[in-house]
Amino acid sequence: MSHEKEEIFPRDPNKTYSLMTIVDGDSFQVEHGPDDTLLSWPHLMVRELLLFLLVFVVILGVSLLFNAPLEEAANPLHSTNPAKAPWYFVGIQELVSYSAFLGGIVAPVLIVLSLLLLPYLDRNPKGVGVWFSADRKLATFLFSIFVIAMIILILIGQFVRGPNWALYWPWM
Amino acid sequence: MSESAYSLQESIKQLPGNIKESVFRREGGTPEQEQAAAIFGNVFLHLHPARVHINSLRLSYTYGLGLISFFLFLLLTASGVLLMFYYTPATQLAYRNMKDLEYVVSFGIVLRNVHRWSAHAMVAFVFLHMCRVFYTGSYKAPREFNWIIGVCLLLLTLFLSFTGYLLPWDQLAFWAITVGSNIAAYTPWIGDSVRFLMLGGNEVGQMALLRFYVLHVALLPLVAVVLLAVHFWRIRKDGGLSRPQNS
Repeated sequence: MSHEKEEIFPRDPNKTYSLMTIVDGDSFQVEHGPDDTLLSWPHLMVRELLLFLLVFVVILGVSLLFNAPLEEAANPLHSTNPAKAPWYFVGIQELVSYSAFLGGIVAPVLIVLSLLLLPYLDRNPKGVGVWFSADRKLATFLFSIFVIAMIILILIGQFVRGPNWALYWPWM
Repeated sequence: MSESAYSLQESIKQLPGNIKESVFRREGGTPEQEQAAAIFGNVFLHLHPARVHINSLRLSYTYGLGLISFFLFLLLTASGVLLMFYYTPATQLAYRNMKDLEYVVSFGIVLRNVHRWSAHAMVAFVFLHMCRVFYTGSYKAPREFNWIIGVCLLLLTLFLSFTGYLLPWDQLAFWAITVGSNIAAYTPWIGDSVRFLMLGGNEVGQMALLRFYVLHVALLPLVAVVLLAVHFWRIRKDGGLSRPQNS
């Protein structure tokens, strides 16, 4: 009965092989080809723990140095001027100042829809696992426009919009 | 232990070993088996694979952005639960609670600061994490669905932050939510109904505060925890973090 063993990893013709030693098979790697993996404990978990400590220390440090903003008690009869949305919505608010419907409804809905559909629209299988892959210049370009536009809108809304949403320069 | 040899004395002698074995569900093994079991024998860690690819550990690949977002979520949960002991979602009390946190409660101001700054940071880091996933093409097959879960988590993060924004009940909070809910009211045909549903009225008041509070401390965090579990589980099921094909 011929019983040929399945090849675990292909032989490299440029290398010579010889039996060095026989060890007891108590490792998960026995009968597996070489791969580039490490045990999650400790290699991954220790890094995760260190990152958590770093995040905690930085947040604690910032919290000891800077107090969260707190203005006077809410007064429905006295509006602040300008009244600004939280910073992550201030870009939308900036768009609303041009057109309430287009900026406040159409743009956010389009953004969310295109984000949700993105993996089904971009079926180009190339360029996975590499930053700014040369195989997907168009995708990188289009997404960068979106990111930069959001940042610019937020910066405008947050820093150069004064009373009545008029442009003003903070240093003047 | 064999059945015939049962004795109380023996049980007491074996007590530490038996407790350890019942907690960890395993007897000792080789060091490598123990290390692997530390991951898959733990309900919290079993979302991790027992082995990870070295590319997943490269800081310059992920910059830890997703993990940082999750850690901020943990910090927000811990500080948020503590803040709930000192907060009442009532228009006459909420702002006074803020002042008490600042001047009466020991380290109350630090607690509030941790919560506030972590919230801002989480919005930023979730967005950066999304950018990393995009620029490395990590939403491509078979990871399409996990990208969708991620977009939902980004929206949840924004809603969590937005609902929390009203709770201090100061001028900043009140008028920011007024502006935000007015944007929602621009929805054609049903705009006013959308705002009414959000605020429990036509303007920001007690009903809005209660609604935002319940969403902020119960409903949205619960949904977030469930989606986070799916998000992490999918990473593993989809073959770990994305990496170049030849590696």
